[in-house]
Amino acid sequence: MKEGFRQAMAWLHTWAGLVFGWLLFAIFLTGTLAYFKDEISHWMQPEIPARAVTSEASLTLAQEYLQQHAAGASRWLIDLPDAREPGLSVRWQQAPAKPGERGQFTEKRLDPQTGAEVQGRETRGGDFFYRFHFQLQMPYPWGRWLSTIAAMVMFVALISGIITHKKIFKDFFTFRPRKGQRSWLDGHNAVGVLVLPFHLMITYSSLVIFMTMVMPASILAAYEGDERVFFDEVFPASSTPEPAGKPAQLTALASLLEQAHERWSGGGVGRLTVNNPGDANASVVLVRDGVDRVVHDFGSALTFNGVTGQILGTTPERPLPLAIAGAFYGLHMGHFAGPVLRWLYFICGLAGTAMIGTGLVIWLGKRQLKHAKSAVMPFELRLVEVLNIASMSGLLVAVAAFFCANRLLPLDMAGRADWEVNSFFIAWGLSVLHAMVRRGRAAWVDQLVLAALLFCAVPLLNAMTTPYHLGATLILGDWAMAGFDLTCLGSGVFLAWAAWKMQRSGQTERVPRKQRAQSIALDRGPY
Amino acid sequence: MLLALLLCYGGFTALCLSMDRHHTELLGRKPSVRRRQGMRIQGWLLLALSLWAAVSATGWGLGLVQWFAVLMLSGLLLVLLLPYRPRLALSLAGVSLLASPVAAFAQC
Amino acid sequence: MKGKSLPVSYRLAVTSRVLAAVLGGYLVAALASVSLSLWLPMARAEAVVIGMMTSFLAYLVAVLWCFACRSAWQAWLGLIVPSLLLAALSGLAYWMGHR
Repeated sequence: MKEGFRQAMAWLHTWAGLVFGWLLFAIFLTGTLAYFKDEISHWMQPEIPARAVTSEASLTLAQEYLQQHAAGASRWLIDLPDAREPGLSVRWQQAPAKPGERGQFTEKRLDPQTGAEVQGRETRGGDFFYRFHFQLQMPYPWGRWLSTIAAMVMFVALISGIITHKKIFKDFFTFRPRKGQRSWLDGHNAVGVLVLPFHLMITYSSLVIFMTMVMPASILAAYEGDERVFFDEVFPASSTPEPAGKPAQLTALASLLEQAHERWSGGGVGRLTVNNPGDANASVVLVRDGVDRVVHDFGSALTFNGVTGQILGTTPERPLPLAIAGAFYGLHMGHFAGPVLRWLYFICGLAGTAMIGTGLVIWLGKRQLKHAKSAVMPFELRLVEVLNIASMSGLLVAVAAFFCANRLLPLDMAGRADWEVNSFFIAWGLSVLHAMVRRGRAAWVDQLVLAALLFCAVPLLNAMTTPYHLGATLILGDWAMAGFDLTCLGSGVFLAWAAWKMQRSGQTERVPRKQRAQSIALDRGPY
Repeated sequence: MLLALLLCYGGFTALCLSMDRHHTELLGRKPSVRRRQGMRIQGWLLLALSLWAAVSATGWGLGLVQWFAVLMLSGLLLVLLLPYRPRLALSLAGVSLLASPVAAFAQC
Repeated sequence: MKGKSLPVSYRLAVTSRVLAAVLGGYLVAALASVSLSLWLPMARAEAVVIGMMTSFLAYLVAVLWCFACRSAWQAWLGLIVPSLLLAALSGLAYWMGHR
């Protein structure tokens, strides 16, 4: 029975992994990139300077700007700059035409030093990868549903993989390169098992993040269908007071920051929401920024009277279940991660991506061996091969194309941001077509070489089209810009090496079997 | 995080050496029963010490996260070095253990 | 996979297990979350959050069961029985006016 159980789990792991592997590869790669979304955005809008300014100063500037441009709005939202996101952005919402509807939002980015509107080239920046990894460029809410379903399948694949891996402890440190399929499996197991804490955390937390959408049964049962009561109980600071209709001077917002600092033992403010600015019933809600703690504080906020500056309420200490949910959220997002930890998150994300990729390669490789004699691959295997190539090397080409488009498209082009995204999908689509017409190994080599060229081109295009090239940014100490250029360069070199290895292994296949068997025996040495 | 990383790497190397297969690959002979037991105890001890190092520096929340992060990183590093540069893998472990008192001093 | 194609009965059995896992598993998970949220002795919002967070574990176990058990019929049975139990538990809590 034990053997039957393991076999069943192996079957489940294999098929769940295949059917959702292509989607999960894309989710993992773009999600991994999203850990550096602020740095990516900074590279993609190099005109916007990264300047260190105090929160009080930028908040005062934001208040002045909003007073001038959005005096009649029903709500102001101010996102203060932090170490990684040096921009000061303000949004305001007009009162909705019908109650219960969402009012129109306007968003502007301000220079935190001068308070003037910032003009950077129009781009989605790193936010594109962040949103793609859970929305998948599909209309709301279908993308989120699909990505959460994929997360559940990932969870099943992880656990079934652990169950199937008989020698998980014995083979813990085992990695045997240069042994064909065996090496791929060793690699798959290595990036799987050694980084397992991350994989389990990231997968389960992604389920928790969207749990109110995908598993609402308990809310509906316990609250008798009234979901709003549940959300009000969990996020008490989000309810907005009715405007009084009487004009009143809004207090200086910067003075509220000091009070928040004290109450949060030095913690900083991430966002301010001003309800009914300029009205007698104005209120200001300060939300903590996530930089100094792991557990994401859901709904934790301070509410002040907008006219007198007096504190109206604080959210109480979060109860344990909500803190646990917050911990899942915080761990997934990694807002608290400093530079070193952030790179580790990135490496773990790449490991997860590699785990999925190696799995897909192994799936096909095992079955290709059985059909090695026949010249034509059966349709199902050919389909898997095309999807493997397009979803992995094709996606890498698309990412590089996205960055290149940012430097190549004219700055004042209309719909520029959309065309950068279009470049991503056009490149990806072309890679699918290319994989369909070229033989397997040739397609891999072609696309890996193309991706390598495009990634190496990124810092070159940067140097050719902007003054913020590697030489300048290294001297200035703009590590985000320099790091981006260097990482693209490194990726290009790595992909070129991968293409070369792929090309070479194709050549050695033509060596007659007997000779290869001999050399393997010699390889094994005394043991 | 440095101290935790050094101790983790040393601990993993010890655990690796406690296995017949890897001990033979790295040191040329099978480990005796005492050697195997000793390596295993040392390995787990070093990992536990690295957990203490991580948590004592930054508290339980961030400390646990950092510990898992260095745990995974050191595991990956060791497994990558073993087949390609086994001597480097071993000497890194030695250096890590030698350097850890210095790192401990810097941390406290 | 062998050269000759798999029998239809095999494909039907696999399809049945997949449906059981996907749909039946969701039902079990949802009912588990409802039962927990109605029975846990804590504030309503907290119990609901715990119910939702643990539901995915129930889903996992249900999916693993559907493929580990000996037949497709067993897969369905193994989900229907706990579903009825959980539904009864939830109904009991509701009738007792727990919330």
